Amino acid sequence: MSLTDPAFFRHLDRLRLRVRTARGHRPGQTPIPRTNQAWGVEFESYADYAPGDDFRYVDWNAVGRLDQLVVKTFTAEREISFHLLLDTSASMGAPAADGKFAFARDVVAALGYVVLASNNTLRVAALASPDAGPSTPYLRHRSRFARVGPFLDALAPAGRTSLQESVRRYVGETQEPGVVLLVSDFLTPAAQYEGALRILLARGYEVKAIRIVGEGELHPERLFRRGRLYDVEARTERWVTLSRANLDAYHAALDAHGAALQRFCHTHRVPYARLSTGQPVVETLTRSLARAGLVTLH
Amino acid sequence: MGVHNPAALPLLAVLGVLVLLYLRRRTRTRIEVPGFLFWDAVPEDRARARRFRPDPLFYLQALLLMLLVGGLLHPYWARTVTETHGRRHVLVLDRSASMQAREDGRTRFAAALDLARDVVATAAPLDEIMLIGVAARPTVVSGFTTDHRLVRHRLDTLRPLDTGTHLDAGIELALLQRDRAGRQARVHVFTDVPASTHRSSEGRAFTWHRVGETDDNVAVAAVHVSQPPFQDAAAARAYVLVRNYAARGKAATLRASLNGRPVFEEAFRLPARETRSFALRGFDGPGRLDVALETDDALAVDDRALAWIAARRALRLVLVSPDPRFADEVRRVSRVLPGVGLVHVAPEDFSPARLGAEDVALFHRFVPAGAVPVGGLYVFPPADNPLFPVRAAAADVRILDWNADHAILRNVQYVDALPVGGVRVLDPPGWAQVLVSSRTTHGEIPLALAGEHDGRRVVCLAFDLDAGALTDADNLTLLVVFLNALRWLQPPDPAAPTLLPVGAPFFVPDGVDGLRLSVPGADARPLDDDTFGLDRAGVYRVTGDAYRALLYANLFDEAESDIGRADVEEADDAAVSATDPRTGTRTVERAVPVEFGHWLYWLAAALLAGEWLYALVRERRGHPA
Repeated sequence: MSLTDPAFFRHLDRLRLRVRTARGHRPGQTPIPRTNQAWGVEFESYADYAPGDDFRYVDWNAVGRLDQLVVKTFTAEREISFHLLLDTSASMGAPAADGKFAFARDVVAALGYVVLASNNTLRVAALASPDAGPSTPYLRHRSRFARVGPFLDALAPAGRTSLQESVRRYVGETQEPGVVLLVSDFLTPAAQYEGALRILLARGYEVKAIRIVGEGELHPERLFRRGRLYDVEARTERWVTLSRANLDAYHAALDAHGAALQRFCHTHRVPYARLSTGQPVVETLTRSLARAGLVTLH
Repeated sequence: MGVHNPAALPLLAVLGVLVLLYLRRRTRTRIEVPGFLFWDAVPEDRARARRFRPDPLFYLQALLLMLLVGGLLHPYWARTVTETHGRRHVLVLDRSASMQAREDGRTRFAAALDLARDVVATAAPLDEIMLIGVAARPTVVSGFTTDHRLVRHRLDTLRPLDTGTHLDAGIELALLQRDRAGRQARVHVFTDVPASTHRSSEGRAFTWHRVGETDDNVAVAAVHVSQPPFQDAAAARAYVLVRNYAARGKAATLRASLNGRPVFEEAFRLPARETRSFALRGFDGPGRLDVALETDDALAVDDRALAWIAARRALRLVLVSPDPRFADEVRRVSRVLPGVGLVHVAPEDFSPARLGAEDVALFHRFVPAGAVPVGGLYVFPPADNPLFPVRAAAADVRILDWNADHAILRNVQYVDALPVGGVRVLDPPGWAQVLVSSRTTHGEIPLALAGEHDGRRVVCLAFDLDAGALTDADNLTLLVVFLNALRWLQPPDPAAPTLLPVGAPFFVPDGVDGLRLSVPGADARPLDDDTFGLDRAGVYRVTGDAYRALLYANLFDEAESDIGRADVEEADDAAVSATDPRTGTRTVERAVPVEFGHWLYWLAAALLAGEWLYALVRERRGHPA
């Protein structure tokens, strides 16, 4: 099932991105928890009647029990700005057999569709270094999804990872905070990604982190036993023999890196999901992202 | 265990090539990773990574190569097999002309066949028999076989020939077959030749079956036609030699006919072991001379012979010389030669177009620049001629050597008396042989050359002929050589036959298609090969596209005509022909090489399939192939 498959989009139509703290000014269809308004669909709470309130929302049963005029309030539904930031550093393209970047593009495209289908505002941007990456304008309505695909297809992994600088550059030119979904392999030192996430949080964005992990990263023994490794970003080489001890050391470093990222996200209330390229995109969206609390099923 | 083809052993070097390929691929291949963030925890292993640590695929490929090379080596292991087989017999049958001698109402060959059939009849059922026929050359008529009926059939179809015999070669061939494959075979020789004449027995036992006792034979031992140069048939003489090989006197009548017309007949009586020659003359024209001896003897094939009386042929001698005195000299010679006409051309007027197909060109002090379409006699070529490179000039040289076997000098006496004055010292061309030569401290000086150039015969005299050289009575040798050279240069008479002894091979020139051969006593048949042997005495005709050859084959072989075949010494035939008491079958064990190279090929194919599956599985799992 792929992005060209109508059945895939039927799956996506059942998904909604969860919003917890983001705010929007324009009415929309995305319910904002712990916010209410005088009209709406989803009951939120009661409020004392005040002159000017619409009598249609007076709860007469409550008036009868409490002998007090109360009106029902509803969960506010707003149009939220979603920023899908895709890491386009060279590390996203290696190893080529993993197809990490293509997988990430599919995930971003699918999430973009979900955003547009729920009548929210979408902006997709590439986090590139050292220059600013390209980005789409703010898109509304699902008919604009047609612009997302060509934009993503034009991207290619290149350059070194510099999340902090890329994020700082992006938020500096963005006026309207909203929800940021950062899609990256996070193969940077902790200071880099922590700095990037802190900048977004400080500027009032609701941040969600999606880490893309390739099968070759998880199981390097499938790639080689002995060989000459080439760092596609630093452009350096080193000879490595994958003995059992070395493999254990690698996995320990890999796990420690993932654990540190997850711990930071948990501490800062950033929803975090790790997606493996070995899974189908549909399953990734409906299960992995739902389990991580990034999306909800309708 | 061994190999039949050790020459394939160097092919194992491809294993080294395979190792080099792996080393090269490993050094050229690198694995791209997103970064060294996690690999920093893994120590770099430069030393171990550089060692040659091939993967299982390498071992599979190496094994595959070794199996293929192993198959090419044709390995075998020795298996001991037990065989039950009979004895081996090699029957050598003499098919020469003397085996046609008739005694007691049948030929010697028929008697030999009966003896051979007896050997076949007494052979055990599993005995293997080989049949070899020997005439001018030995021939394996039938290889070793236990099919005795086939051997008897082959015996029935064998016929004696009109040739001599090389019995020694046939016996050697039989002895080689006898010792083949480590199995001893008994050799039976059926011939009219006594065992004592066999030279190569070397103590090896074989059974000698001698047939024939009579010596009753009178034969035409030779026919020689003597015809002076440039004379017609009337001047020809035919000399017939008749010999009585019997130990008693014999009466006979010699008849000769020319083209079927009787020209000679004489009855005579020859004493025992005597020879008489007959001179036949007065032939009224050219043609075939049939000589037949009418007598009551045992062997008929040597009672007849063929010869050829040649016609006088016209010869137009084209003389190209700047010297009118030499032209007069040649003209005087040509006047006394019947049928020879002379045309004198000045060198500046000469062109090859003036020559006819039957001409002979005589170039004196002149060599034309282009090819000459007829045979040419070159006398004293100039220093800068294009045909015979001239090194220097010499004078007063003495003749020291000559080739007396060449037709130009055959039967010429006093060659050293040739008047040699001034000489051109020539570099003999590769196509020419030296007929007459002198020698100095600087090397050989060829004085006369002969050879074939551009398909034409060429003779060169390196010395000049002075006035009177040919007609002076003191220079008779030079005149004979001169006339011999002209005869040798004259194109052969297409109607004249080639006289060959029976048994000789004849070679048809290359490039003749549609060959047909007519042999004595048989119809014409297509000739597939360009060579054939003259196995019968008589007339052979070979025809083809623009080709025709007439051959006369005569049996003038004293060894065949002397059918009495006296022993060289008092041989004990019984000792040679002692029979082998071992008969019947026997069981032997011997090692038989069983080749298993093809199994290695099958194993290699299976391995290749396994390797392919292995690579496929690795690829499916995402491993590099």
